[in-house]
Amino acid sequence: MIRPRIAAPQDFAGGLFLIAIGLGALWASSGLGMGTLRAMGPGMLPKSLAVMVAGLGVLLLITSLRVEGPALDRWSLRGLIFVLLGAGLFALTIRGSDLPFGFTLPAIGLIAAGPLVAIVSAFASPETKWGEVLLFAAFMTALCAGIFKYALGLPIPLAPWLLGY
Amino acid sequence: MTTLSRRTMLGAVAVAASLGLAGAAQAQAYPNKPITMFVAFAAGGPTDVIARIVSEHMSKTLGQQIVIENVAGAGGTTTTARVAAAAPDGYTLIMGQMGTHAAAPALYPNLKYNPITDFTPIGIAGITPIVIVTKKDFPANNLREFVAYLKANPDKVNQAHAGVGSTAFTTCVLLKAQIGVPKLNAVAYRGTGPALNDLVGGQVDFMCDQVTNLTPQILAGNIKAMGIATPARLPVLPNVPTTAEGGLPEYQISGWNGIFGPKGLPKDIQDKLVDALNKALEDPTTNKRLADLGTVIPNAQERAPAGMAAVLARDLAVLDKPLRDSGAVGQ
Amino acid sequence: MDLFSNLALGFGVALSLKNLALCFTGCFIGTLIGVLPGVGPIATIAMLLPITFGIDPVGALIMLAGIYYGAQYGGSTTAILVNIPGEATSVVTTLDGHQMAKQGRAGVALGISAIGSFIAGSVATILIAALGAPLTRMALLFGPAEYFSLMVMGLCFAVVLARGSILKAIAMILLGLLFSTIGTDLETGQERMTFGFAPLSDGLDFAVLAMGIFGFAEVIKNLENPETRDVVRQKVGRLLPNFAEMKQSAMPIVRGTFLGSALGILPGNGAVLGPFASYTLEKKLAKDSSRFGRGAIEGVAGPESANNAGAQTSFIPLLTLGIPPNAVMALMVGAMTIHGVIPGPQVMTKNPQLFWGMIASMWIGNLMLLIINLPLIGLWVKLLKVPYRLMFPAILLFCCIGIYSINNSPVDVAMTAFFGLFGYALIKFGFEPAPLLLGYVLGRLLEEKMRQALIISRGSFMTFVERPISAGLLVVAVVVLVVALLPSISKKRDVVFTE
Repeated sequence: MIRPRIAAPQDFAGGLFLIAIGLGALWASSGLGMGTLRAMGPGMLPKSLAVMVAGLGVLLLITSLRVEGPALDRWSLRGLIFVLLGAGLFALTIRGSDLPFGFTLPAIGLIAAGPLVAIVSAFASPETKWGEVLLFAAFMTALCAGIFKYALGLPIPLAPWLLGY
Repeated sequence: MTTLSRRTMLGAVAVAASLGLAGAAQAQAYPNKPITMFVAFAAGGPTDVIARIVSEHMSKTLGQQIVIENVAGAGGTTTTARVAAAAPDGYTLIMGQMGTHAAAPALYPNLKYNPITDFTPIGIAGITPIVIVTKKDFPANNLREFVAYLKANPDKVNQAHAGVGSTAFTTCVLLKAQIGVPKLNAVAYRGTGPALNDLVGGQVDFMCDQVTNLTPQILAGNIKAMGIATPARLPVLPNVPTTAEGGLPEYQISGWNGIFGPKGLPKDIQDKLVDALNKALEDPTTNKRLADLGTVIPNAQERAPAGMAAVLARDLAVLDKPLRDSGAVGQ
Repeated sequence: MDLFSNLALGFGVALSLKNLALCFTGCFIGTLIGVLPGVGPIATIAMLLPITFGIDPVGALIMLAGIYYGAQYGGSTTAILVNIPGEATSVVTTLDGHQMAKQGRAGVALGISAIGSFIAGSVATILIAALGAPLTRMALLFGPAEYFSLMVMGLCFAVVLARGSILKAIAMILLGLLFSTIGTDLETGQERMTFGFAPLSDGLDFAVLAMGIFGFAEVIKNLENPETRDVVRQKVGRLLPNFAEMKQSAMPIVRGTFLGSALGILPGNGAVLGPFASYTLEKKLAKDSSRFGRGAIEGVAGPESANNAGAQTSFIPLLTLGIPPNAVMALMVGAMTIHGVIPGPQVMTKNPQLFWGMIASMWIGNLMLLIINLPLIGLWVKLLKVPYRLMFPAILLFCCIGIYSINNSPVDVAMTAFFGLFGYALIKFGFEPAPLLLGYVLGRLLEEKMRQALIISRGSFMTFVERPISAGLLVVAVVVLVVALLPSISKKRDVVFTE
């Protein structure tokens, strides 16, 4: 028995991706009124775009079976996880936040959240030298505090636990 | 570079001071750290401008910087809800306005705050009268003709507004309800700028909005003013008759901006803030800045906490039914 | 010779020592925030507003204007060096600018963008001075129907922008359009696709989307292939373009200046279209269009000129009519009112010092920006030599703070991380992010203007073809699309037939 071969695996996956987004958007906009072409409702554009995106996904899927194309790339999880984790932690701690199940994160301000981003994301690279990263994190945080807080005067909490702002 | 270094110096002084006082901070009298005043709209808009002008002088009286934070979203209701839920320590305030406090309850069925019971009023900072304007070549030349034309041609006329919940939206819903053409064609724009642009360009027929935005165009003859919704004519627009003169005395409405704190604000903190606001509005420079905008400075009685509460209660009552009947919803 | 006496008055105002210093301060801060990813002119001007209270209105506005166009200059630096477009207008610069940097031609790319911007800024300033008032009257002919057709034309440009498969490019544009519909519906106030999540109720922020799918995703991608990345960083080429490159860029700069100036005048923020239009034009005019997307200097020179020309001419509706075309200009209105200058048609006659002083200062500011930016190129290129293991945490930190400061919202940072994941998936599935961003930028205006036009016309689609300007734009759109699609369709056929 001959297994059907996919000529362009990357496009095949891309097609599935588009179909998933299209269907997701269709579901998310299901409660919105379409209106008529003459008097469009809020749902008219999102729904038609969602259908079109999914439609192009189907088209991509079909062509990927016939026309040769690139193979699927491997995903590098290490970079993905630590880079996004770093940014996520910054978001959760810069002003503090309430997590589910009654946990809370303190508002640690730029002074601590800054190095946190640099250090957590540094796990993403195998070339990281820790001494260097620590020094650099401290330097960058001080630089950012100087630029954003003092020179530009943006209202970023610096260290609420220490300075009160 | 003077501006930078001044700011840096202020910052450095602040850091030094707060490092030294961190331990004693709790015991000190209010205010002992910067106060955040939220503006639930984008920087540069009418609410933001008034907040910045007033807070600049209030900071001097209070001896602490008032930092303006612009966090826009859902017609300003997200940020207003956030302030309603904040600790009543006087360090979180909001520059509220007609939309967030008087119109929101009718427009947002799931509103997370009660504009009266969830806030401690400080006072009104500025009142902006509403004027009805049409495009330059609109067939009507005064308010009587305008009302007659609207009633006679309800499917020909297009009204512009600055988005659901905006002052331009709310005040026109009221006007249309009072004239008796509530379903008149309304075209939504993203903000007053684009709406005004299409009015000047003649793409739409009329709108209602704050004088602040419209005065220059009226004076230049780019648009026509039908009437102003105040008891007396305004000094900046002496030739524009009031709605009462034009035969529509029931149309009395003004935009306003006022400072609120969360509910349960201690009396002494409220008093300090009220005092700072009064001093700011009595200061000739600040007063002139606000007046130049076309803003009417509220008198002592109007701007007191009780006065603002009265204005709020009146607007809530007037706007509720027309807004609910308009069918517009925010969620 | 009114113009000359007016300009003389303007330069008299702008050349005072104090105003020169303020202009320089503005340009310098502008360059700084332009370079910093995320931090835009809006947040900065808002924060600096109270400081200008002590300065007279002319000086204050000269400084604030400097921040705005300085940020446009600075934004291209980040786009070229680290592939992060800080604003909608620098998306196009990433396409060829960053490719040039990867080939060790960062200095040349930065140089040509500074020179192109200077020329464009100078020409646009003269245009404002000479033709500001009549151009405004022309711009008022643009109603919702015309804008809709203009946006349709912009979407056709986006197709041309694509490097790879047309099918995938169209999918990305549609996805961008789909994203633009997230948030509160303008006409009814209903929430769309927000999942009851309050921070989405005003829609996605452009910077959140761009930082995510360009900034974060790019960093993750770079981390997985250290070899290619570090080899690139060893090469440091010339710092300034040579004669041949200047000659190559001359016409693109002229065309970009013209396109950018024309689109910038439109009060509905037509300026965002300028760089896209210029790129499309250059790609179509080039003898070998396959160089585009692989480091073609015309692909930097044209759009950068268009960008800066548009930044200057978008002051026209503000100065001559008092109506702001975009959010930054709305803030300038706020600044003017705070200083007791009520923006409107009377500014030119009532405050000639302010009007002409600002115009003169814009030309001076452009010269200053050239002087600030050319020496900085050496510094930027040196920064590229910082090992990537230190560079990427710094980029991330700057992005996080920058995004936070847009709305003072930590949720925005988390959403950017989410779009980082999304952007990484796009890369892995072989999709181009640039058409998505263009679709997103145009989407809101497209829907808004279409529905406004239809409400005004009482539901008649004929409004788009009955109005001559609108019809003309639609014709251009169709022509652009046909020209873009024809070669690729015939190529596809070849592929199919050879199978």
